[in-house]
Amino acid sequence: MRIKAHPILSFEAQKAVPFTYDGQTLYGLKGDTIASALHANGIKKLSESIHRKRPRGFYCAIGNCASCNMVVDGQPNVRTCITPLKEHMDIRSQQGKGQVK
Amino acid sequence: MKTNKPFPDKANYVIIGGGISGVSVAWHLAKKGAKDIVVLESEYLSYGATGRCGAGIRQQWSTKANVLLAKKSIEFFENAQDLLDYDDDIEFKQEGYLIVGTDEEEDRAFKENVKLQQSLGVPAEFLTPKEAKEIVPHLNLDGVTSATYCKTDGHLNPFKMTDAFYKAAKKLGVSFFTHTKVNDITVKNGKIESVQTTKGTIEADVVINAAGGFAQDIGEMAGVEIPVKSQNREILVTEPIEKIQGPMVISFSRNIYCQQTPHGAFIMGRGDDRDFSQSMHSTHQFLEAMAKTATRLLPPIGQLRVIRQWAGLYNFSPDSQPIISGSQDVEGFYMACGFSGHGFMLAPMTGQIISEMVLGEPSSVDTESLSLARFEKGAAKTMEQNVV
Repeated sequence: MRIKAHPILSFEAQKAVPFTYDGQTLYGLKGDTIASALHANGIKKLSESIHRKRPRGFYCAIGNCASCNMVVDGQPNVRTCITPLKEHMDIRSQQGKGQVK
Repeated sequence: MKTNKPFPDKANYVIIGGGISGVSVAWHLAKKGAKDIVVLESEYLSYGATGRCGAGIRQQWSTKANVLLAKKSIEFFENAQDLLDYDDDIEFKQEGYLIVGTDEEEDRAFKENVKLQQSLGVPAEFLTPKEAKEIVPHLNLDGVTSATYCKTDGHLNPFKMTDAFYKAAKKLGVSFFTHTKVNDITVKNGKIESVQTTKGTIEADVVINAAGGFAQDIGEMAGVEIPVKSQNREILVTEPIEKIQGPMVISFSRNIYCQQTPHGAFIMGRGDDRDFSQSMHSTHQFLEAMAKTATRLLPPIGQLRVIRQWAGLYNFSPDSQPIISGSQDVEGFYMACGFSGHGFMLAPMTGQIISEMVLGEPSSVDTESLSLARFEKGAAKTMEQNVV
């Protein structure tokens, strides 16, 4: 889901940025956050609630709520809504509260 | 916290303070059959030091009185769920306290402490740094010279524990009035006569001062000078992660206590030399100092984000041991204060001792070292050393 035409703003074509989501190769655009790139690919479930494992998606979009926490390049609890997408990022769904070593 | 009861104009026992000490005293009194007990709280239950504390439960103290109070309190906590018939979980987790030493002086003191604790039946042990690392594998041993560990120490949820005492006391008929501030206490002919509050005046013969960081103010209202001073102490909590740390890790020389709660978040705090005050404000200086201390001793914590920080009051007595006592000057005035940062973990015994004093029962512990009078006799003899 992306806004392509807007009455005031214009969106210039951006370079495609490859990344993997749970092992599957996808493409975002330069300037995307991780969450916006996933959303554009139709992926709306970003995490699970801790106790009942219910789906959690894009919510506060300002890095406060932990609803978009994922494992990025091995690092747990990354706030994907405010983290810029980079080429070849390894983005994974997080099980539980995240493992720290 | 709504109560349908109208504000009373008379009571047998008025407890000032709706923290852990106040609710424990209320429950212990009611359990022994005392009637007409009123608890007054200026804000809401556990607003003060109880709800702001580090939630640790430990028996590794340097004085006999504190070790015994803590040991007997843990015996209560182990059975609290049943004793109070609580329908929720008090989250009592006994995974120990690891106390880390960093110089020879501490090593010597630790050996003395462990000897005392063991003699009183507390399963504390003296450890080498290597043994300490087996218990907390992510401990950074740089500069660590020794440790002590007691496996039956642990963590307890202050809000749930307060709630458990509150609900059980309420069932036994205790009345609670929150958002009710005590303005003055009237003493006549050396006896407690009444308590003036923002909701009205209550006549009572017995007042129990469990006002935490404000206990000295309540004492002043009754004309009883209590030699306690309050100090602002700060604390923070991180985001939760999967469990990596069982015990509370503390160090007196490094000035830190740090534990992972059952919820997965780390709670940590430290003290510094501050003027005595009743300020409960947080500072950015604490955040920086705490982060440096914690990441040096427990490096993986550096990967976590801080969610929130807050502050509360330690109520210090001159010897850092509690004052659980009556008053020689004012009949009917009792106090449970001056806990010096560990009133939460001693609360079951606080309730038991105060209820025994108030009801004229023989005391289950030696109360001499807890008395207000010990300071009048020219400075208390033993100082509690193990305070962060």
